[in-house]
Amino acid sequence: MSLGHHHAGLPPGHLRPPDDLHDARSINGYSRFLSGSRTPQMRASADADGSHAGGLISDADIAGDEDPRIPMFRELYKRSEAQINTLFANQKSAEDARRAAVADSEEPQTKTQRADEPAPPPAPPKKPARKLDDDDYDEYDDEDEDEEAPSPPKPKSLGPSQEASSFPSPSRPFGSMSQAPDAQRETKKETLEDIRKKLEEDKKATEEAARRSFHTLFYTLENDRDAMLDQQRLEESERQVEAEMSGQANAGNNANPNATGYGSLSSANLGASSLTLKNLIARIDMKRTMVQASDAELRSLMSEVRKNRSKWASEDKIGQEELYEAAEKVLSELKAMTEHSTAFLTRVNKRDAPDYYTIIKHPMDLGTMTKKLKALQYKSKQEFVDDINLIWSNCFKYNTNPEHFLRKHALYMKKETEKLVPLIPEIVIRDRAEVEAEERRLQMAELDGAEESDDEPIMSSRGRKAPGKSSSKKGTAPVRNTPSGSEPPAPGGQSQASQPPGPVRSDSDAALEGTQNGFATPPPGTQTPSDPAGVGVGAGLPGSQGDAMEIDGLITPSTALSALPASGVEFEDPEYKVWKQVTKKDRAVIAAERHRLFKGDKLNSDEPALLRTKAGMRRWIRNQQQGNAEGDKTRELTAQGMGPGTAGATLAEGIEVDEDRVIPDYYDVMSAVPDLPAQLFWKEDSDGNIVDASEEFLRILPKGSFTQPDSKLARKMDANMRQMQETRKVCSKVGIVKQMQLQSQMYQNQFQKYQPEPFVELDVPAHVMNDGGPVIAPWVCRAALQRSVAKIFYHTGFEEYQPSALEAVTDVASDFFQKIGETLKSYMEIPKVPATETAVEATTAPQWKRAYTEPEIVLHTLASVGIDVEGLESYIKDDVERLGTKLSTVHDRLRSLLSELLRPALADGGEDGSSAFHDGSEQFVGGDFAEDIDEDFFGFKELGLDREFGLATLSVPLHLLQNRMYNAAQAQNTSAAQTVTLFSPPAPYPRISAETLPSQIGLVQGFFHSKLQANNNEPLVEDLELPPKQRPMATRPRLPASGKIPPPSAPSGPTTSPQKRPMPASASAPQAGKSGGEPSKKKLKKNSGVAQGADGEDAADGTKAPPTRRPPRPPLRLPTPQPARPATRASKSKAKARARARRRTAARLQRPPKVTTAPRPSRTGWRTKRDDVRWDLVLGR
Amino acid sequence: MFRDRLTHRLRQMMFVSGETAEPSVDTTTLIEEIVRQQVVEILARSTTLATRRGVRSISTDDLIFLIRHDKAKVSRLKTFLSWKDVRKNVKDSDDKGGADAADFAAADDPMAGGVAAGPQDVASKPKNKRARVGLAWDVNSFYSVQVPERDDEEDEEEEEQNYATLQRLAAADERTKHMTKEEYVFWSECRQASFTYRKSKRFREWAGFGIVTESKPNDDIVDILGFLTFEIVQTLTEEALKVKEREDREKNRRGGENGESMKKRKRETGLFDPPEEGRTPVEPRHIREAYRKLQATPNKNIAMLLHNGRLPARMPLRLVSFDVFYLLC
Repeated sequence: MSLGHHHAGLPPGHLRPPDDLHDARSINGYSRFLSGSRTPQMRASADADGSHAGGLISDADIAGDEDPRIPMFRELYKRSEAQINTLFANQKSAEDARRAAVADSEEPQTKTQRADEPAPPPAPPKKPARKLDDDDYDEYDDEDEDEEAPSPPKPKSLGPSQEASSFPSPSRPFGSMSQAPDAQRETKKETLEDIRKKLEEDKKATEEAARRSFHTLFYTLENDRDAMLDQQRLEESERQVEAEMSGQANAGNNANPNATGYGSLSSANLGASSLTLKNLIARIDMKRTMVQASDAELRSLMSEVRKNRSKWASEDKIGQEELYEAAEKVLSELKAMTEHSTAFLTRVNKRDAPDYYTIIKHPMDLGTMTKKLKALQYKSKQEFVDDINLIWSNCFKYNTNPEHFLRKHALYMKKETEKLVPLIPEIVIRDRAEVEAEERRLQMAELDGAEESDDEPIMSSRGRKAPGKSSSKKGTAPVRNTPSGSEPPAPGGQSQASQPPGPVRSDSDAALEGTQNGFATPPPGTQTPSDPAGVGVGAGLPGSQGDAMEIDGLITPSTALSALPASGVEFEDPEYKVWKQVTKKDRAVIAAERHRLFKGDKLNSDEPALLRTKAGMRRWIRNQQQGNAEGDKTRELTAQGMGPGTAGATLAEGIEVDEDRVIPDYYDVMSAVPDLPAQLFWKEDSDGNIVDASEEFLRILPKGSFTQPDSKLARKMDANMRQMQETRKVCSKVGIVKQMQLQSQMYQNQFQKYQPEPFVELDVPAHVMNDGGPVIAPWVCRAALQRSVAKIFYHTGFEEYQPSALEAVTDVASDFFQKIGETLKSYMEIPKVPATETAVEATTAPQWKRAYTEPEIVLHTLASVGIDVEGLESYIKDDVERLGTKLSTVHDRLRSLLSELLRPALADGGEDGSSAFHDGSEQFVGGDFAEDIDEDFFGFKELGLDREFGLATLSVPLHLLQNRMYNAAQAQNTSAAQTVTLFSPPAPYPRISAETLPSQIGLVQGFFHSKLQANNNEPLVEDLELPPKQRPMATRPRLPASGKIPPPSAPSGPTTSPQKRPMPASASAPQAGKSGGEPSKKKLKKNSGVAQGADGEDAADGTKAPPTRRPPRPPLRLPTPQPARPATRASKSKAKARARARRRTAARLQRPPKVTTAPRPSRTGWRTKRDDVRWDLVLGR
Repeated sequence: MFRDRLTHRLRQMMFVSGETAEPSVDTTTLIEEIVRQQVVEILARSTTLATRRGVRSISTDDLIFLIRHDKAKVSRLKTFLSWKDVRKNVKDSDDKGGADAADFAAADDPMAGGVAAGPQDVASKPKNKRARVGLAWDVNSFYSVQVPERDDEEDEEEEEQNYATLQRLAAADERTKHMTKEEYVFWSECRQASFTYRKSKRFREWAGFGIVTESKPNDDIVDILGFLTFEIVQTLTEEALKVKEREDREKNRRGGENGESMKKRKRETGLFDPPEEGRTPVEPRHIREAYRKLQATPNKNIAMLLHNGRLPARMPLRLVSFDVFYLLC
């Protein structure tokens, strides 16, 4: 799939397997030609140029072709080079000597030799290159040598200097007569060579220029489509030709007498190699019966073995191969100029131009020419050239209008033709028989001097026997025998002569052929002295022209560039034109490939997947490097970094098809390699250990990226929030206490504990990043923003929020911040202004500065979103700082409220141990202080009752506390208003005892007396003096919280009056035990309080604590341990006394306030009665 | 009838705000329309608020919430409401008479029986003195428990609010500095001008109660509206006066030398000329300009429409606010 895989020269759509290489080349060497030839001359010039892309690639290519044998050939190459060097070292001196001789021009023979001599210098560099190209051919050569070595009687190790003197004779006979022509021939050859060279160089230079421009210019792809369509048309026409030809092919095959099968292989025409394979064939023939293969198979095998013959090769047509090779090349070249050639590709259709054939009598087009070429209808270069020119002249003839676009095309094509035609060797194809006959004639003529004619049959049996063979053969033979096996310098003239087609078919095969032919193939007709045409043409080319062209060749880039626009078909940017020209075909192919990936508007799923290739990427990198080349250090770095990779790469590169396209890199999408950050390079230190660069760029996200940064404001806000939490805690306590006051029964889990945690902003867990900059994590950022929003919410007083509300506000906030950001950005991006107003006068570059300074930007932004600094300040002042003070005052008030509420229950904490709770009411509220002290407070555990009651904690049942709270609250509520004492309380009434009994009125004396007696003559205790719980109560029994009906014998039974019932142990014991000597005093105090405070007291107690409300004590409480109860008791009574004192004073000052928190107790009948009594007392006083 | 009264009242209010000349009926009608529009808007918005709370009738909180950013106004309203509460309580105890109190006194304290109810009332209900009006968005409402009042702590905020009030008073003082006794008496009479005083029924009709809001508003709301209307008229007048002053200045400057000298001369003779003499009343265009200024949409309201936001064709009506700061924001 990859673009890189396709061979440029193939029709699009043809997937060429890599091993197709030879075919592809032999069919169409065009791409080769384009991409830079490997002709020795070119190589040399390219080397001189220094930029040597083509050479590099082709080297690699060669390696790719023959990779298994690479080492071998390297070895060979080295050896041969060494030998060549030694040879030339010797030769140099000899040559110099000879040059002197040439100047004298004494001996024609030496002159011939010498004239030939100058050629070798270019050859040596060629040889090595060839050497690599050759694989089997060396063997052939060796074979040839082996074969021929014995026949020519020459000393093997003779140096060239020797040659000159030792082999003058063979060529002497006709040397004299061909002396003048020889010189002519040489110059002509040179010029031909030069023309080709120049053209090649032009091409190369153009290509190079285009290549260079790849790095500097970006061309749009808009012309690709045209290119593709043109290319398609071209291919279409080629196919057409192919189809038409295929019909004739059979006939042609049949016509070929060699194709008909023969019984023996030796009689089969196997081309030139039949000679070299002679022994083998003879062998096979001998053992024919043992070979399990048909003749056809063997033949194909044979022809495979010698692939060096081109399809044009013919046994009995001399010069055909060369002529046709070149002609085909030219033809395809012309066709490939699709921009201009399109109109000439096919026959003119009669429909398009009805009168065409009336005007044009001899129509001609490139397609027809191709057909003719394939049908081998051209006999000479002239015919071919005439046909080409016919096309253009037809065009000019038909399209008489000078403005006609086709004329332009034709003109261009004509110019191109003129450029290309010299590439075709001047060959007239002759029949072999004819040539041989001629040769024989010649031989006959000079028979006397020639002894080696016995070689001739062998040589003549070879396919392409050059007319001038005998003469060159002489020169060649000795040199072949040099042990090196490499091409000796001596046949330079020979090879030179046969070289001309070389540059054109610079392609490996063609080139190889050339090399091969260099030994065996006779020079083309032009070289033949007896060929008048060749001589004529050669003579026609002035020697000076060659020189001029040489000079031109030096400045090729410019001429190539300037030549093209000069053609003037279109007036375009010359560079662009060149580019178009050079890349056209490749672009067309690529566009076609691209086009194929789509079916309609969609991707074509049937197409193979696009794959990257190593070679492609390597090529890409190489091109990039060339592009940003000129020796910057980074490249070295890269090269260094890539070092190990490239070393191993060549092999892989070789395995993969490497191809050469003249196309910018951006066409090769699949090979593009993104820039690697420096830290990702594979680096090794001196010890070969890999340097782990990862540590240098991995970093951990610094803490606090997602938390509120510490600031004064933040601290204040946090403090405010903390304050709110504390206050809320107080609030919950207050609420509980208030609830206690209202409710007579509490349950352990009635209240939920309010234990707010301080707010802590959690940061994200450690996060590793591999580059700088902020973390782009939208959701984390959003969550952080949401947290901030929630914080502000809380700060504003919301305790809880619905998620949806939070989401909505977060969205709004993020929107808002986005707006701020955008505004900031737009202010920052305002174009810079000159720093000074006088910048105009300043000659130096004006200083630029931002239009706004940073504070200005911020202020502008704030203003545009409707916020100003004062607003922000006032927010901080009012909504943060002042809120803080407000909160703290509120907190204080609530605390004091709480302590106010708790005071009745906690006032005497010191004495009874409740001071343990002085810090607040934590345990009271929670009721779980027992757990804290780890004490089985009520002995429940001992009895195993905890489990029975399912008490999770051994806490004080809440109602213990609650009772006190409740009672205290009730008492306080009424008495709150009566606490002010205006007058000192009156002395209490004395207790009724046996002594005071007489002072009572007579009516009740009897009653009191009986009472006293019942009380063991102890003084009677008034109900009022009793603690509320022991007062006589209403008879309505209540079900205790436990749900169990208490047994009637329970002491808490509310039926009996305290006077009648024995003092409960819990009540009496402490009085006796703990408070020791005090009771009298206490009692006295109490009594006094009771006696005169009775009025207020009763109202309070009676109302607030109706007996019915008092929960009967559950029987469980019986085992209550002693020490605790008296303590509470004592404190309670003490508290009571104090409260009473307060109340009394208050009562005189003001009326009881309306209490809204507690419902006003309804008056019971009983109470009213008591009130009446009190009234009496008051009035009576 | 009510109309005439309104016009009269409006003139009084404008006089208080510094307009010494007699404004035309056009002007007063314009102001009246603006005020009515504002009142309707206030009512509609507070109705929306009430509905959002799930209550049909609007409360004072809803009204105050609308002007919550105007601290001076809020403070004055709070003060007003608390005193009104006191007055009402006193009146209540006056009305309902001794029943409760006497009972109370008789039941509790025989000595209290003979004392006059009034002082005793006050004495016995110290909190009646001034029940602070709590607002739902105050700090106190952060907590589930009602925060007990404490008289000893003077609220800092209140001080600041008082400061704003004092500013107003100072301005009024400045205005009345040069008044004669009669003028001052007249001025202070005018100060008491109200749309609602003793005319709450007509006011309700005028303001479209029953149409805008369904509920029957209680007294407090009408009183607050009366207060707010006064404020609106005052703000408008002041703003219009500023406009007019600027316009006059422009005119004088354009009048060139003549105007300049005129001005100078005027200033010189100002001592002897009563300032009202040469003054022309505020005209409707001044009012309109002032209203336009007061209705200008602050940047803050369209901040979210920045960058590709589209300005709505019509911005919601803005309540005329005295506070310049919030005008700008």
